[in-house]
Amino acid sequence: MVTIDLSQFSNITEANEKIREYGRDNQSVEIINPDARHNIGVGLVDPITVKIKGSAGYFCGGLTDGAHFEIENNVGWAAGDNIYTGTVVVGGNAGAIAGVGLRGGEVVIRGNMGSRAGQIMKEGTLCCGGNAAFMAGYMMYGGRIIILGDAAEKVGQDMSAGEIFVGGQIENLGNDAEIVDLAPGDLDSIKEFLHRYDLKFEGTFTKVVNAGKKLRYKSQEPRHRPQPFFIHSKSSSYWNAKVQEDIWIKGEVGRYRIRGYGASKPVPHLNDIAFAKSISHVKASSSALDGVNLRTQIGGRYGAKPLDLSMPVMIAPMSFGALSRSVKIALARASRLSGISENTGEGGMLDEQREEADQLIFQMLSGRLGWNVKDMQRADAIEIYISQGAKPGLGGQLMAKKVTPELAAIRGIPVGIDLRSPSRHPDVLGADDLVIKMDELREAVAHKVPLGIKMGAGRVKDDIKIAYKDGFDFVELDGLQGSTGAASTEVLENVGIPTISAIQEAVDGLREINAADDMHLVLMGGIKDGVDAVKMLALGAHCVSVGTAAIIAGGCIACMQCHVGSCPVGIATQDKEHEARYDIDRQANNMHRFFESMRWQMAAITKALGYDDVHKVSREDLVALTPEAADITGLPYAPQHQDHVHPDDDLSTLSRKAG
Amino acid sequence: MCGIAGVLYKQKGAYNIGKTLIDMLDGCQHRGPDSTGFALYGDAKELLQLRFIVPTEELARKKAIENITTLLARHKASIDSEQSVGCSYQVSVNFDGDLLEFTKDIEEHAKLVCVGHTLDIIKDDGTAKEVDQTYRVSDFVGSHGIGHVRLATESAVRPEAAHPFWATGFEDIAIVHNGQLTNYWKMRRRLERRGFTFHTDNDSELVAVYLADKLAQGNTLENALETAIDDMDGTFSFLVSTPTEIGYAKDHLAAKPMVLFENDDMIAVASEEVSLNRLFPGQALNSTEPAPGTYRTWSL
Repeated sequence: MVTIDLSQFSNITEANEKIREYGRDNQSVEIINPDARHNIGVGLVDPITVKIKGSAGYFCGGLTDGAHFEIENNVGWAAGDNIYTGTVVVGGNAGAIAGVGLRGGEVVIRGNMGSRAGQIMKEGTLCCGGNAAFMAGYMMYGGRIIILGDAAEKVGQDMSAGEIFVGGQIENLGNDAEIVDLAPGDLDSIKEFLHRYDLKFEGTFTKVVNAGKKLRYKSQEPRHRPQPFFIHSKSSSYWNAKVQEDIWIKGEVGRYRIRGYGASKPVPHLNDIAFAKSISHVKASSSALDGVNLRTQIGGRYGAKPLDLSMPVMIAPMSFGALSRSVKIALARASRLSGISENTGEGGMLDEQREEADQLIFQMLSGRLGWNVKDMQRADAIEIYISQGAKPGLGGQLMAKKVTPELAAIRGIPVGIDLRSPSRHPDVLGADDLVIKMDELREAVAHKVPLGIKMGAGRVKDDIKIAYKDGFDFVELDGLQGSTGAASTEVLENVGIPTISAIQEAVDGLREINAADDMHLVLMGGIKDGVDAVKMLALGAHCVSVGTAAIIAGGCIACMQCHVGSCPVGIATQDKEHEARYDIDRQANNMHRFFESMRWQMAAITKALGYDDVHKVSREDLVALTPEAADITGLPYAPQHQDHVHPDDDLSTLSRKAG
Repeated sequence: MCGIAGVLYKQKGAYNIGKTLIDMLDGCQHRGPDSTGFALYGDAKELLQLRFIVPTEELARKKAIENITTLLARHKASIDSEQSVGCSYQVSVNFDGDLLEFTKDIEEHAKLVCVGHTLDIIKDDGTAKEVDQTYRVSDFVGSHGIGHVRLATESAVRPEAAHPFWATGFEDIAIVHNGQLTNYWKMRRRLERRGFTFHTDNDSELVAVYLADKLAQGNTLENALETAIDDMDGTFSFLVSTPTEIGYAKDHLAAKPMVLFENDDMIAVASEEVSLNRLFPGQALNSTEPAPGTYRTWSL
């Protein structure tokens, strides 16, 4: 046992590096003078014991695997956050969300524990020797909570699975929770657990489980002839066949409807912007790529190794879950072939995806589905998802047909539920908590890779300032036109602001606080080609991200039925039979070629505008074609640049069959 | 989006309140690097104390101070002493008129930060240590106080948007708040109809004005805290201080953290235990986290 005096470390990062070093040597550690500091031991993946002589702050022992933490006194929020195996034993009291997102292992609080203990936990045991504050087991997906004392209001609120045993009084039950008799073996198993931790208890327990009334939507949408997106979105008035169909279906189901894809109503877009300069000196296409720099580095603000992209393009975050394994593999391969980055989205990291992609962003969402320290440590960037353009303020939705045993296992949730991910992070309830969470994530990866944030565009001017002050390396900003695999149409069409408004507000907001140009802006939501990308860069973005366009290049027929789970081309499905129709090799190449077309477009336009670097294009190169776009961006209004190609002309060809 | 801290010594005496709060706020400065503020309670002064925010640029400052002296003269408040430090201008005045009327008029024409016989509010852009360098907060001796570090989100970084906020019209009452009120505009309009004026768009100012209104109607501080929990939507942990007490209120969802430590001598409360530990380095504290939807007050 070696001793670390934390008062000698002004920076927790250095102390954690020391702890990890001892971990690699299999040497246990005693920490003195912890003084309730945050993130002690975060990122430890070796089975050593860490004894903390005193109190610890937030995220003590969080994002670890296999280690044993013993804290003599109290802990702050989120003790044992997301541990896979190992133990965290707290001698005193714990703040809110003890054992949040547990994937296994054991967290024991000998004193009382704060609100929302065990929120979104999936496996393992959280045990409290004293009383638990309100909403114990909030939104838990599995595992076991043992409370020897009393439990305050709303025990098991919105739990999907798992068990809560309360030795004392239960003030009241939460939504969709019920009391059931103990099963044979429950008591013996608890006694064995308590004995191991030397916890005394006489008496019996009340057992709380999910009542099963809210796990599935009560009404299922009838199957109907799908209306292809490009027909669907063409409506320009509010009273039409699409509205009629919508009313019919709502008359049957009595609730909001869910579909895939993004906002279909016409809103100001990059199409309403044009390049102001003449491009008459564009040279022969074969030389378009020569002498133009497209290389883009994202996220080196604080010395992390930036993403190094061959052009300012990323693949948008899309989950394994919404998409099939095969598509995630094809996307990862296409990203490697084109020298850009792939993103895991919500559903965890696949081994094949990691192998195929050279640069992979690992996304952390509110439900922590598939989130874990080991995959963090093999990611090239970490991204905190706050919200997305398709559905700002709401969590993901994955309908039961897609929640297969394989998928449920990686996410740590019950099989066959209509999965509605939480809309909020358990440990991020404001910009102040976010700072501490960011520290935890950076500790877990030893500050080696960039940390980004994904936000749906709402109050961008405020949000971007917070992101800058909180210290993110990059921001993925997603406008109203962003797509999704499943969301309610009300939110898809009506929440958020257009992508061109988002970039303008972001640039204005950063200028208001005199921010340096070191937090990189990645814009997404309706970026359909390299032309859009250059316009977005001219407006102030450092990079763009494409989801819908990539998927369409990779075989999507745009029927918008992604949420159903029976995708006929094997993209938005977990059905093996449907997935078998997906030709990974062919579609990876199609997507790769599409990205190469973006490269060609970006290079050609950059050159035509007279620059040798795509990052040199600026607002001076743009004009607005509509009064609305001019008003939003402040660009000069130049209606004479409007082309008169009918929008239908080239769209029908996009609805081609895959396979 | 912030960190809060408060401390109260139970026995009368001269304690280094300023130093204590600086240590606590420095401990949670990561929660808010933009601005820092203190509400400090010392011995009762004979004369009424007022502190204003004035521009730091010399010419503008001179003009603002001239404007304030004219205002004071209009209300027959004669200046006994004055001092201008950092972005502030402080005066002691002889005044025995109606305080509510007096402050209402002054607030309309100048950036009044606090009024009272025992309370001083010091707030400015920068960290606890930076604010201390300008204002010598660490020299302040008294019985209790509250403090705040702020990350500006909705409203701009300006000294007047920093906390604490003074409970308009009521001498010696201040609040600090961590969280976000979602029914801000609704409640603000309701209070404006009752004759209150708002000087920032900061939702925390509303907490101060709300409490002032309740106290004006003859409620006790405890009653005002109790109704605040039901009337305010959103997330909050806030602290309030008067010449003889400090209190807290916490929202029903306990969305914002708050930790409490009490021993025979003192009460210390802060967003995070790390702040409490600054007062007792190396010691494991027997702290508690107040339950959601609760309030409490402590008296000297």
